[in-house]
Amino acid sequence: MGQLMSAEFKNRKNLFIPYLMAGDPDPGTTIEAALALEEAGADVIEWGVPYSDPLADGPVIEQAAIRSIAQGMNILKAVELAGRAREQGLTIPVVLFTYINPVLATGESLLVEKAARAGIDGLLIPDLPYEESGGLKRLAREHGIALIPLIAPTSRKRVKKIAGDSDGFLYLVSSLGVTGTREQFQEDLSDIIREVNNVTDTPVAVGFGISKREHVKKFHELADGVVIGSALVRFLHERRNKLNGSERNSVLAELKQFVRELIS
Amino acid sequence: MNPLLKFCGIKSETEFRKAVHTKADFIGLVFARSKRQVRPEEAAEWRRKIQVPAGVEIAGVFQDADRDEMIRAALEIPLDIVQCHGSESPEDLEVLKKEGLKVFKTIHHEDGAAGKMADFARFADGFIIDTKTPEGGGAGVRFDWEAVPSYREEAERLGKVCLIAGGITTDNTDELKAYSPPGIDVSSGIETDGIKDEGKMWTMTAKVKQTYSFPDQLGRFGDFGGKYVPETLMHALTELENAYEDVKNDPAFYRDLHSEWASFSGRPTPLTFAGNLTKEVGGADIYLKREDLNHTGAHKINNAIAQAILAKRMGKSKIIAETGAGQHGVATATAAARFGLSCKVFMGEEDMRRQELNVFRMELLGAEVIKVTSGSRTLKDATNEAIRHWVTHVGDTYYLIGSAVGPHPYPLMVRDFQSVIGHESREQMTEKTGRLPDHIIACVGGGSNAIGMFYPFIDSEVLLTGVEAAGKGTETDRHAATLTKGVRGVLHGSLSYLLQDEGGNIQEPYSISAGLDYPGIGPEHAHLRDAGRVTYEAVTDREAMEALKLLSETEGILPAIESAHALAAAVKTAAGKKTGETVLVCLSGRGDKDVHTIKQYEEERDE
Repeated sequence: MGQLMSAEFKNRKNLFIPYLMAGDPDPGTTIEAALALEEAGADVIEWGVPYSDPLADGPVIEQAAIRSIAQGMNILKAVELAGRAREQGLTIPVVLFTYINPVLATGESLLVEKAARAGIDGLLIPDLPYEESGGLKRLAREHGIALIPLIAPTSRKRVKKIAGDSDGFLYLVSSLGVTGTREQFQEDLSDIIREVNNVTDTPVAVGFGISKREHVKKFHELADGVVIGSALVRFLHERRNKLNGSERNSVLAELKQFVRELIS
Repeated sequence: MNPLLKFCGIKSETEFRKAVHTKADFIGLVFARSKRQVRPEEAAEWRRKIQVPAGVEIAGVFQDADRDEMIRAALEIPLDIVQCHGSESPEDLEVLKKEGLKVFKTIHHEDGAAGKMADFARFADGFIIDTKTPEGGGAGVRFDWEAVPSYREEAERLGKVCLIAGGITTDNTDELKAYSPPGIDVSSGIETDGIKDEGKMWTMTAKVKQTYSFPDQLGRFGDFGGKYVPETLMHALTELENAYEDVKNDPAFYRDLHSEWASFSGRPTPLTFAGNLTKEVGGADIYLKREDLNHTGAHKINNAIAQAILAKRMGKSKIIAETGAGQHGVATATAAARFGLSCKVFMGEEDMRRQELNVFRMELLGAEVIKVTSGSRTLKDATNEAIRHWVTHVGDTYYLIGSAVGPHPYPLMVRDFQSVIGHESREQMTEKTGRLPDHIIACVGGGSNAIGMFYPFIDSEVLLTGVEAAGKGTETDRHAATLTKGVRGVLHGSLSYLLQDEGGNIQEPYSISAGLDYPGIGPEHAHLRDAGRVTYEAVTDREAMEALKLLSETEGILPAIESAHALAAAVKTAAGKKTGETVLVCLSGRGDKDVHTIKQYEEERDE
């Protein structure tokens, strides 16, 4: 059974959940960056599958996906890459972040089997809302994998049914829009979080737009965790040239430092 | 549940023969004094000659007739139902009932008339609610349909059949249906120049009796469709579903819509017999449904007007749309201008370059064209970007999707709004040729003109063919033949067939026609193909361009390159059919927008 399905995970607080795009800037870096993030204190890793039409994502992740696809990355290779990261010592839970079409193209059963074998603990699919998720959720549960549900500021009456049948953690979208850094968070999430806590003990992690220490602090007080995506993807992309040369280790050290400061 | 349907005032053997096969539940013969009066002997002769399908009941309409006369006629003709249309008493009905006859009683609408139903309930099996006129009703005048629910409720309480009569026509059926009538009784509304019109009868049954009932509650057409969107949009889709349900039940919406279609867009569009083309091809007669004669030059405006009215009713002041070639963008910009809404159109940078004039046209109409530079910079990316914008501004923004694609309820709404094409065609073909066409052909990109044309014929025997773009050929990788070559997958919110690679990434389609250049297809087409109801074939750039020239030269009609794909298939189909058979083509748009592309194609070919 995956780590996200354990009773112990439900009690976790102050979760820090970084996102990496598998294969960007290259597969080796994805593994090493994941190991560095674990060392710096990450609790879960979101393992991004590149997709041609990522309509929940902003330009930073979309561009990363295009680069990754151009290098030949795809969903099954991303799953294999996660398996290799496990072999190289990654121990924290891994959540495969993918759109639904690559899952369907692979076949839901095949994908879930391969993911379980690669040591993947969760699946997060931003374009698979609650109503369409029943079949895959059952399949994932059979393999000890958590299908992570999303809740948005517009979910309203839907919050109860989504949270009431949730595994792993709940991904609460911070604000209207797509992924990518934001300066301001206008939505008041406290009501939604309270509502979630009334129906489930599944932890709540807030994502979309989080890039600074003050954001992390704010949402750690409000919820049980934060997800950081675009800021890290951009961090690695901006240092892609250094990663190819003698400065590779110093970039990875810088990444750890960046994360430690975020969660300090 | 579908309302019951009665075709009344059948007055000749020919009419009787046609009417009994139109899926009406009741056929009414008038024995009372009327311009539609028939003699019992005639009726008896028709019944002897013509087999009435199981489930169809024949009603005889009498007005204050002698009891024995009614009984005799009912037994001799025979009649399944005796309808008492005058001031018969409950005692009169009791006598008929004792003879083992089924009895309907007409109630003339007036204040409190629903209460009278109970007086007859012991002996009547059903009621006809008709307008009260000095002559005693049957005058083809409608009453205030606000009262329909009160009759329905009373009939339900009493457990009786109830049919609404008076002034119902094929044009106001949708409006009446909004009041959920338990049954509809129509007479003059299915006549043209005093004769029962088979086209109108079929239109009426198509409108009243849909046995095909997709999508289901979850927005599924069989396996296909659904709602695959980010959670942020789910509430907006529910809101849209509810708003659409509301307008479906609101007669004022249909009045507005039909009035705009007529006075602003020029509907109904004509049906043209392509006599010269037919002669040239040899074989079946080719007819063209002229959607090219709509305002803005294509069928797209039908849907844009309807959704703009809906947006306005929902209190949304901003409209966004995606566009490939610019036709839907122009239609949306037009509707936005007409209804005083602000409009942003998302368009790929590559398409903006290819369709520079349409960009200018949209701007002239007051829309803002937003350049999309992500991905392949074409329609699919414009759609992604429109969805991203919608996610961010979902509170005040209405996303006006132009094809029969996207998450539920879009494929349903677009189909319903575009069905005006098929409904008009049914009537026009029957009027012109006396029957339905043998074969209907329409081009398919996302599939909105095709589904609008096909939908009213789905329950019929008519052969239906959708034509995809084969581009440079389906054996190459330069095509847009989604059903011919695609596999199942999710794009832009619904499950259908897609052009994609092994890893599930969407592949860039190709066609000379920008309107067919889409890697997906509406989910209902995927269902209709897999269910075997519609066949789909693919036509190359070259075949389409040849058909375009042929129609231009033989008929003086320059079709859009999209529509030319349907024509190319129709020419082949017609050639293989017998003289006297008919092929109907949906000419979805005019080719004026394509002149530049056509010229370029000819020049490249000549090199």
